[in-house]
Amino acid sequence: MTPILTIENLQVEFSTPFGAVHAIRGIDFSLARGDILGLVGETGCGKSVTGRSIMRLLDENAKVSAGRILFDGMDLLQLTDTEMRRIRGNRIAMIFQDPATSLNPLFTIGEQIKDVLRAHRGSGRGGAKALAIELLADVGLPDPAQMMSVYPHQLSGGQQQRAMIALSLAAEPDVIIADEPTTALDVTIQAQILDLLRRLQRERSISVIFITHDLGIVAETCQQVVVLYAGRVAEKGAVETILARPQHPYTRGLLAALPRPGSRGNDLRVIRGNVPSGFERIVGCAFAPRCDYVMDICRAQNPAFSVIDSTHHSACHLHEMPANG
Amino acid sequence: MVEPLIKVQDLSMQFLRKAGLFGRGGQRVRALNGLSLHVRAGETLGVVGESGCGKSTLARCVLRLLQPTAGSIRFDDVDLLALNDEDMRRMRRRMQLVLQNPFSSLNPRMNGFELVAEPLRAHRSMPRKEMRDLVVDLLTEVGLSAEFLSRHPHQLSGGQAQRIALARALALNPDLIILDEPTSALDVSVQAQIINLLVRLQRQRGLTYLFITHDLSVVQHISDRIAVMYLGKIVEETSSEDIFANPRHPYTQALLSSTPSPDPAAKRQRIILPGTVPSAANPPPGCAFHTRCPQVMEMCRARIPHSRLIAEGHRVSCHLYEASA
Repeated sequence: MTPILTIENLQVEFSTPFGAVHAIRGIDFSLARGDILGLVGETGCGKSVTGRSIMRLLDENAKVSAGRILFDGMDLLQLTDTEMRRIRGNRIAMIFQDPATSLNPLFTIGEQIKDVLRAHRGSGRGGAKALAIELLADVGLPDPAQMMSVYPHQLSGGQQQRAMIALSLAAEPDVIIADEPTTALDVTIQAQILDLLRRLQRERSISVIFITHDLGIVAETCQQVVVLYAGRVAEKGAVETILARPQHPYTRGLLAALPRPGSRGNDLRVIRGNVPSGFERIVGCAFAPRCDYVMDICRAQNPAFSVIDSTHHSACHLHEMPANG
Repeated sequence: MVEPLIKVQDLSMQFLRKAGLFGRGGQRVRALNGLSLHVRAGETLGVVGESGCGKSTLARCVLRLLQPTAGSIRFDDVDLLALNDEDMRRMRRRMQLVLQNPFSSLNPRMNGFELVAEPLRAHRSMPRKEMRDLVVDLLTEVGLSAEFLSRHPHQLSGGQAQRIALARALALNPDLIILDEPTSALDVSVQAQIINLLVRLQRQRGLTYLFITHDLSVVQHISDRIAVMYLGKIVEETSSEDIFANPRHPYTQALLSSTPSPDPAAKRQRIILPGTVPSAANPPPGCAFHTRCPQVMEMCRARIPHSRLIAEGHRVSCHLYEASA
C-alpha cells in the first residue's frame, strides 16, 4: 500500500542575525495509512519544524531549501498558497501542545466546530449542530450538548485538548499532525488523551504524526518511530523493534539515560556533551562528537542508512563494519 | 530513633482568592489540607503529585516564604513558625531551594561569579580572592570550569544553567535542598547528567533532599522514600522500591499505570482515571479522591480517611485499608 505521506530529503534553513541555522539537514520517512508515527528527539532536533513544514506553517525567516513532501500524488511544497489552504485543516490537520492558544477565546466550542463543518463539509445549520455534538461526544467530553455553548477558558487543559481534537476531526482529515499534544497535561490526563487517540485510530483509521520527546509515549501509542538528531534521521522503523533492539548509538544512549524502576543506586548513563547548535557546519555524522563508538570515518563522512531488516533503518557507520555482528 | 531533620505536622495553607471584577471569588483555596511528613537527615523524600496538588506550596511553606494557616514545621528540632524574621533568615542558610526553570530564577544581568557569590555576600564577608576561589571550587563541584565565571545565563544551556543554580544553592553549605521539578525542563540526556550530579552531591556532602516532581520515574530513581500527594494531602507514603512493587492507594496505582514506559515488554493494565482533579477552592467532601476513584465506596463520599500504617514504613489514607485493619 502506498504511504499517505512521504517526506524526501527535506531541508530547512532559518536566517537569523547570527547567520543561517540548518534546522533540518535532509529528512526522509513515510507515514503509512492508518498508522501513528512517532517523531522523537530532543530540543532542536527539528521535529516541530518538520511538522510545520508539512503544514507549510513555517515562520517568515525559514526556508525549505530542498526536498519533497508527497501527499496524495502532490508535492505540497509546490502548491500555491490557495491550493495549500484547501489542504490545511481540511485534509491535514494539526494539534498543538497548548490548546488554549489554538482555540479562539472569543467563540464557543460549538461555534468553532460548526464553522469548520460548514466550511469543509458544507453542512447546513441543523446538520452542523448535530454533527458537532456527535464529535464532542466522540472525543469524550462530558455533556456534549451543553459543551457547545462553552468558551475555551471554561474548560480544563485536558478538556481543551479534547475540544481541539474534535475540531481537527471535524473536517475529516486524512492526516493529523500532533505536536507534543500531551506535554502540558498531567499524567492521568495524558493517559486519557493517549487512550482517545488510540481509539480514534482504531475506529476512524486516521493517520497521525505524533511529535514527542517522550519514548514512553512512543512505546504506548505509535506503530512506527523516527528518531531525529540534529536535523537528520538517526534511526527509524517499527516501534517494538527499535525500542527492544536499538541499533544507533544515539537511540541506545537516549534509552539508557532514562531512569526506570530498579535503576536507583546506579548512575544513569549519560550522553556526554550537548546537542549541536545548528550554526556550526556539520561534517560527517552529527552525533560523532558525543558518540562512544566514534571512528575516523564518522568525522569525515555522513553515514548512509543501513538496512537492519526490512522495517528498520539506522544511519551509522558501525553497521557498515564487517566485524560488527 | 533519630529525630527527623524536617517534621511537618497537620500543615494547612489556605489562600483567600480575592473577589474579581464581577464580584465572584472571595473563596478559600485549600492548597494544603492537614499535611504531615518527615525527612530524615541524609535521605531523599520524593513528593509526587499532579499540578494543583499543593506540592510547590509545600516547598514554600517549609522555607516560610509563605506563612501557613495552621500546623507545625520543625527543622532540626526548631519550630520554624515560632521564629522571628531575623532568626528565620539565619535558618534559611541551611535550607536552599532549586527551581524548575533556571532561566527565570537566575538574574540575567549577573555572570557566573556574581550568581554563585551572591548568597555568600548576603551571609558572610570575606576577601575577594578567597570568594573567587570558593566560587571556582563550587563550580568545579557541579562540573563547570572556571570559564563559566564570566558567562551570563543567556550564554548557558539548560543543563549548565541548572548547574549554576545548584552551585548557588550549595554556596552556604546547607543541610537541606528543596528541589522543585529540577529536571522537568531538561532534555533526557541532560536530565540524566543532573540526576547523577544530585546523587553524587548528596553522597559527598551528606545532603538532605526534598525532591518535588510530577515524574514518577525520576523520583523513584533518586528517592529513598516517596510521598504521593493529592489535593493538599499525602495519600500514600512508603519506600521507593515499595511504591512500584506494592502501591496500595488507588490514586498511586492509577498514577503508576498512567506513566508511559519505554519498555515494549511492559504492556500493562491501564487504569484510566475519569475526570480531572477537583478545584482546591471547593474540594469534595469525604475522601478528596472519591470523585475519580475506581474503587469508591459509600463511606468514601462522607468520611475523610485517616492515615494508617499498613506495613513497616508504609502509610496509606484510604478507607479500603481501614475496614481490614
